[in-house]
Amino acid sequence: MKALALAVLLLAVAGCSPSSPEDDPNTLRVLAGSELADLQPILDELKRATGVRVKLTYTGTLDGVEQVYSGQAAASYDAIWFSSNRYLQLHGGVDQRIGIQTKVMSSPVVLGVRQPVAKSLGWDTKRPTWTEIADAARARTFTYGMTNPSASNSGFSALVSLTSALSGSGSALTEPEVTGAAPQLREFFAAQALTAGSSGWLADAFERRVRGGDPIGGLINYESVLLSLNARGTLPEPLVLVYPTDGVVTADYPLTMLTGASAEARGRYDTAVEYLRRPEVQRPIMERTYRRPVVPQVATDGRFGGGTLVEVPFPVHLDVANALIQSFNDVTRRPPSTIYVLDLSGSMRGERIDALKSAMLGLSGADSSLSGRFSRFHGREQVTLVTFSSQPANPLTFVVPGDAPQPVLDEIRDVVNEWRAGGDTALYDALVVAYEIAAEQVRAAPERVTTIVLLSDGERTSGRDLAQFRDFYRGLPPPTRAVPVFPVLFGESAESEMAEVASLTGGRTFDGRSALATAFKEIRGYQ
Amino acid sequence: MAVRRVFSVVLAAVLVVGVIVAIVVGRERGSGQSLETVRGVVGSEKAPFFADPDVVAAFAAHGLRVTVDPAGSRQISEIDLAGYDFAFPSSFPLAERVQRKQGVTTAYAPFYSPMAIASFAPVMQLLSRASIAERMPDGHWVVDVEAYLAAARKNLRWDQIPGNTAYPARRNVLVTTTHPRDSNSAAMYASVVSYVANGNAIVRDIGGVPKVLDEVSALFLGQGYLENSTEGPFESYLANGLSYSPLVWVYEAQFLGRQFRRDGSIRDGMVLAYPSPTVLSKHTLVPLGDDGDRVGRLLTQDPELLRLAARHGFRTADANALANFAAGAGVDPPPPLVDVVDPPSYQVLETMLDAISRRYQQ
Repeated sequence: MKALALAVLLLAVAGCSPSSPEDDPNTLRVLAGSELADLQPILDELKRATGVRVKLTYTGTLDGVEQVYSGQAAASYDAIWFSSNRYLQLHGGVDQRIGIQTKVMSSPVVLGVRQPVAKSLGWDTKRPTWTEIADAARARTFTYGMTNPSASNSGFSALVSLTSALSGSGSALTEPEVTGAAPQLREFFAAQALTAGSSGWLADAFERRVRGGDPIGGLINYESVLLSLNARGTLPEPLVLVYPTDGVVTADYPLTMLTGASAEARGRYDTAVEYLRRPEVQRPIMERTYRRPVVPQVATDGRFGGGTLVEVPFPVHLDVANALIQSFNDVTRRPPSTIYVLDLSGSMRGERIDALKSAMLGLSGADSSLSGRFSRFHGREQVTLVTFSSQPANPLTFVVPGDAPQPVLDEIRDVVNEWRAGGDTALYDALVVAYEIAAEQVRAAPERVTTIVLLSDGERTSGRDLAQFRDFYRGLPPPTRAVPVFPVLFGESAESEMAEVASLTGGRTFDGRSALATAFKEIRGYQ
Repeated sequence: MAVRRVFSVVLAAVLVVGVIVAIVVGRERGSGQSLETVRGVVGSEKAPFFADPDVVAAFAAHGLRVTVDPAGSRQISEIDLAGYDFAFPSSFPLAERVQRKQGVTTAYAPFYSPMAIASFAPVMQLLSRASIAERMPDGHWVVDVEAYLAAARKNLRWDQIPGNTAYPARRNVLVTTTHPRDSNSAAMYASVVSYVANGNAIVRDIGGVPKVLDEVSALFLGQGYLENSTEGPFESYLANGLSYSPLVWVYEAQFLGRQFRRDGSIRDGMVLAYPSPTVLSKHTLVPLGDDGDRVGRLLTQDPELLRLAARHGFRTADANALANFAAGAGVDPPPPLVDVVDPPSYQVLETMLDAISRRYQQ
């Protein structure tokens, strides 16, 4: 009876709507950064108020940049909406790809510090400089989490502010200044205890560490993410927001037309922008997403602290911006130690093993796209390959030299090209081998950031099962237990088991079922 | 690029026409009078003026319905002007270029606006201690461009000015402008600073550009990332104040127009300073036919239109109009301008701006 009533109701609802949202002609198609997902309720109201549907399709920052400057974005979208256009606009020719841009809201990248740490450092009463923050990091009185600058705008913004401050520069950074700041940056990043490819996941991971009794000092993130985290009420006490006196980089979320969009799309854009900038809409944006308003009629409320902020000049040359990222990856960050646990069982034959090889070859330098260049194995990185079928194969470890990486990358490519699929799936036995290697590496080189990637296209069919792995994992010493597993869903992956492995170890799953290489690149932000 | 420009002009036209038609249709019903449509392409900063219902009514009283397509002033000199009755860029060099291209000798300069610096009283006090700014007896602030250039040459940072509590930033003392590639206001900035860098003389020919190029370029590139339209930085100044920038290059009309609106966006402590020398953005209308000529004449002579121009913050031949609105809004009257220089010729300015823009690609 109930089912029938529901069916009738659904039919009635379906009958009411003139068309499904997918073919609503009054749609502005927008390629967007995933952090804009929290704006959906506002966009739903925009649709109700104006009839214009703003449909966001999410992608990563670098992928977005690449799609715009290659001209590919214009084929499927009318507009783009990311946290900032600054890096994008450094690419030659982009001015021909984008049209009018309108800022919708803003959020500076600042620090959220746990109260006891802020108090002991005096940052709760006096705003520090980046140099003072770097000093505390060097002394390990301040440890922190920050996103990877090559994967996430908040990490990149922090890197720009910090490098500008440490170099003493009062104008846009130059390459010699980037190189000159490397020794200090290396000391600063030695205190980084948590990394992530996205600002939202970083906040979640930080919260887990605090609640799990293994807290770190703070995190660098958008003011909006930090205020949202405080508003959740899940931390024992709210974070102190710390605004460095010598500069921040502020995300300004410009909704930006793409060249070649239709006249109708431009009309929808104008409608959307006019709506989003109304004072009565700017206020709920501020109250619900904790981003600052951009129209003078709406004043920020008391939660937005900091007093006067100093906006750091953003680099004007692509070479400088890329040198910042390159230097972070190859010189100043804690070197990564990356263990790949990869399924070569019989079910991987054909397209699947080809996709896996191509993803790994991409990371070994074959992918020359923008995102590919930044996600290749970095200088000083240690890469361990643990392939498995009926049992784990002998692990192979490579260390990529900082100065001449090519010969080692070539060795990795030779190994990958030899892979053949066949046999059963001893998934957890292979994961145990990976953790044994991780334990050894964590002991021998605690300065490294050690992570495990797990790819399997199906259920485990031989060796240990999940319960046995869980017991093994719980017996590991705490520093080894801190090594996260990032399972990649692929083929007929056991989704719930993979999710459990991720949550048990503090990792997260990635979906490689539609594009494995993309998932492998995305994981690079977490390694 | 050209395609995008024309395209966006047309789109904007559709929108503006829609608004105007709605207004005019409403009025025509009352008067029963038919209006002649005149089409113009205008610098985007003047679009709000033409969209003002009182301006529409003032033209209608003379039997005209004026529809405008907003465009970047630097674009107006490049796009195809067929089908337009007038072009109305925001500077004299750009109008000159249109005149040459169209073989027109007449031009109307109904209103103008000096370039100015939106800032804050404590920042100006700070700069006066560094002998870069000075407060005039009538209360308004003047920035000495020569002293400013000398400071920029030495990479003077805000935190190096003694006794600085207002804005102790580790950031060079630089005025925030738009990108030289796109906007007229940035071209006006280049005009002022190149004059001073050239030993207080207008750069007369292309051969004189290299002599000032390094110094002028540094004033743009040192700022870091720049926005494209003059409206962007001014809005950020209004919304974020000192946290955006202590010094923002604007048209005087932008600031005054906001003050006259009394919408609370100009807050306590916000001041408009005048560079010395400054340059005038002479909004110059080039008629492309008799109808365009009528618009030019009306804008120059019709008392109601002159009054409305003043309400939007523009200076006109009637010096009292702006002062009256200032008095009505309870703000200080805009000062008389004493130290005004001419911008270089179109060709020299374009050469300079192109050369600066190229340095962003190196």
